[in-house]
Amino acid sequence: MNFADTVRFAFKAQLGYPTRTLLMLLAMAIGVGSVVVLSALGEGARRYVVGEFASLGTNLLIVLPGRSETVGGPPPLLGITPRDLTIDDAQALLRTSTIRYVAPISVGAAPVSYSGREREITILGTTPHLYYIRKMSMAQGSFLPEGDPTRASSVCVLGYKAKEELFGGASALGEKVRIGDWRFRVIGVLSKKGESVGLDMSDVVVVPVATAQALFDNPSLFRIMIEARDRDSIARAKRTIISVTQERHNGEDDITVISQDAVLATFDRIFTALTLTVAGIAAISLAVAGILIMNVMLIAVSQRKAEVGLLKAIGTPPGQIIALFLTESAILSILGAVLGLLLASAANWILGRMFPQFPIAAPVWSLAAAVGVALATGLIFGVLPARQAARLDPVLALARR
Amino acid sequence: MFIRDILKISLSSLLDQRLRSFLTLLGIAVGIASVVLLTSIGEGVHRFTLAEFTQFGTNLIGINPGRTTTAGISGALINTVRPLTIADEEALRHLPGVTDTVSVIQGNAAVEFGKRSRRTNVLGVGPSAGRVWQINVAMGRFLPDDDSQGARAFVVLGSKVSAELFRAGSPLGGLVRIGGERYRVIGVMESKGQMLGFDLDDAVYIPTARAMSLFNLDSLMEIDVLYQSGLQSKTMAERIRKMLIMRHGSEDFTITTQDEMLKVLGSVLDILTLAVGGLGAISLLVGGVGIITIMTIAVNERTSEIGLLRAIGADRRQILLLFLGEAVVLAGLGGLAGLLSGAGIAWLLGAFVPALPTHTPWQYALYAELLAAAIGLLAGVLPASHAAGLDPIEALRAE
Repeated sequence: MNFADTVRFAFKAQLGYPTRTLLMLLAMAIGVGSVVVLSALGEGARRYVVGEFASLGTNLLIVLPGRSETVGGPPPLLGITPRDLTIDDAQALLRTSTIRYVAPISVGAAPVSYSGREREITILGTTPHLYYIRKMSMAQGSFLPEGDPTRASSVCVLGYKAKEELFGGASALGEKVRIGDWRFRVIGVLSKKGESVGLDMSDVVVVPVATAQALFDNPSLFRIMIEARDRDSIARAKRTIISVTQERHNGEDDITVISQDAVLATFDRIFTALTLTVAGIAAISLAVAGILIMNVMLIAVSQRKAEVGLLKAIGTPPGQIIALFLTESAILSILGAVLGLLLASAANWILGRMFPQFPIAAPVWSLAAAVGVALATGLIFGVLPARQAARLDPVLALARR
Repeated sequence: MFIRDILKISLSSLLDQRLRSFLTLLGIAVGIASVVLLTSIGEGVHRFTLAEFTQFGTNLIGINPGRTTTAGISGALINTVRPLTIADEEALRHLPGVTDTVSVIQGNAAVEFGKRSRRTNVLGVGPSAGRVWQINVAMGRFLPDDDSQGARAFVVLGSKVSAELFRAGSPLGGLVRIGGERYRVIGVMESKGQMLGFDLDDAVYIPTARAMSLFNLDSLMEIDVLYQSGLQSKTMAERIRKMLIMRHGSEDFTITTQDEMLKVLGSVLDILTLAVGGLGAISLLVGGVGIITIMTIAVNERTSEIGLLRAIGADRRQILLLFLGEAVVLAGLGGLAGLLSGAGIAWLLGAFVPALPTHTPWQYALYAELLAAAIGLLAGVLPASHAAGLDPIEALRAE
């Protein structure tokens, strides 16, 4: 018997018991399908987060005041340090060659009011550079004007939601709002781009950084956002930032610089681990499907004793018989896997329709792994029945009738 | 035929096909075991996280400046035009039902002793922080009950900072510099470990007012209120809200009761456990398909037996019960095996990998077992009704 004969023979055997074959295919398909769908969900989550970070800006570096010596511990995200990070520090960084944009940031919360309506809103003090770093866009008017960042001026830009809450449908441009005890002229409204990691940009009021410092009576910056010239200069920019600041702070190395790459790499690792775990859990069902295949093949061997006896009687070597039964389990696994892939792509398509903003996609490795594991399962669990068939004594097998 | 007879026949036919029954059982067992194991891990993580949160005591209410508008951190933790002051804290202390209050400021600064210097977390806290947060001193004492405005320059070191700066020597009475000022060490804390990523041992504790001037702040970052046990957290939160609105003129602060926080956290973790258990159930589903397959084959093989039973007067219902009984026994035994092995593996994991806490929620385990039996029933219905529907004469004729 050549290969084509073996395959044809195995197919015929399967078609002889349609219900049984269909059920085994179903079991395999559920296993493969769940592995693919779950890893697609994990991959989708990963891409979503990566996309969120990209919208935060590219080649981004964040400078925080203070430094923790503990390795692996969290940087002082909210802490206050005795030595301030100042606007002058930020300005000094702008004069270096590896850095394109520098946005000093001072954050606080204050009541913002307009004609009787009041809302506690996050006030973001910064410079025009933040507009380029965070790739923002305007719905109306313009962003903060260029100029000396150490000079305060009473203009503000409203986030989309902040504008809706205070003004409703009315135009906000040129109007005066009260923030704390000060009056500010609205010069722009941010477009609806909204939320991203860290800060909800739709519910903020943006003011010049020096103004925010005066408003909160606090000369210290919350952090400095920096965009490096290009990807290759991120590491150099990081070194420059540390050395420049150290020089300005009497030789003390008291800042933390986080690069977006590092944060992204962490998220990447977390999500990859998560995807692998979830896919691994789903793969348990493949093992269960494998057990089922073994069970059914064993039954098939005992039912087809006469047939096997006949094959042996006409001189078929044991190897050939093993190949025959293994081919049957392999066919079951492959067909089941294909069915599973079809099911999974249907499920993914539906999920993609339901959540359009969520980039769901099965990673190629998961397709390959699911099919590979399915095939391996079928073969491994097929070995026992196949060997049992090969070991049958032809005379006894035939004589049973 | 009585139920007992049905069970006897079911069992004996299952025992006749030992390998086949074992494999079917194994399929269900793997499914149930994965559900039990995964929910055990989920439940373990759940308990671990809740324990992390409650280690500071349960009758706590936290107050932060500014109102948190959207989910996330209010900008007011850094700066606010309406600060939360030490005077607020003192007013809260006199509220009926309040047993203690702690004001908190957190920052980061270098702590120097001799030539050694370590950048670490500096916590500006009130003298009752040790009591309220249930952290004890290993040596010396905690910050004294000074007047909050004129607190003396004393510092209590976290165990890690103490070890780093003083090595084996006793730090008590030593002078350290924090942000250029000199502080006398009066105590060292017991090691408390990490709290949600924040290393409590790598911190030093100084009086709140001193931390405010060190970091040039005029607002507290948080006030923690400890209230008498037995009082409702809701009533306490309401009292605090009224008092602060009276003092500030408007609600420019956020009150977080621990109950609320635990509730939110608990429901999130519940969903996690359910999701993970649900994932495990996929393999249970595959195991169910296995039972259908095997029962279908069994009905086909035993067509003549069914014919015989019908011929001697067994009615359809009894045939149905016979095959259903087999399916349920298979699923039930498989479920039991899975339950035991799943719980066993979970226990072993918990014993050998202490970092991975496991706890088998028996109520979920019971659900899983019931689910297995239900799957057996469902999976048995199709083949069993096929068997019951067989025409006795035709069935007997099938060789």
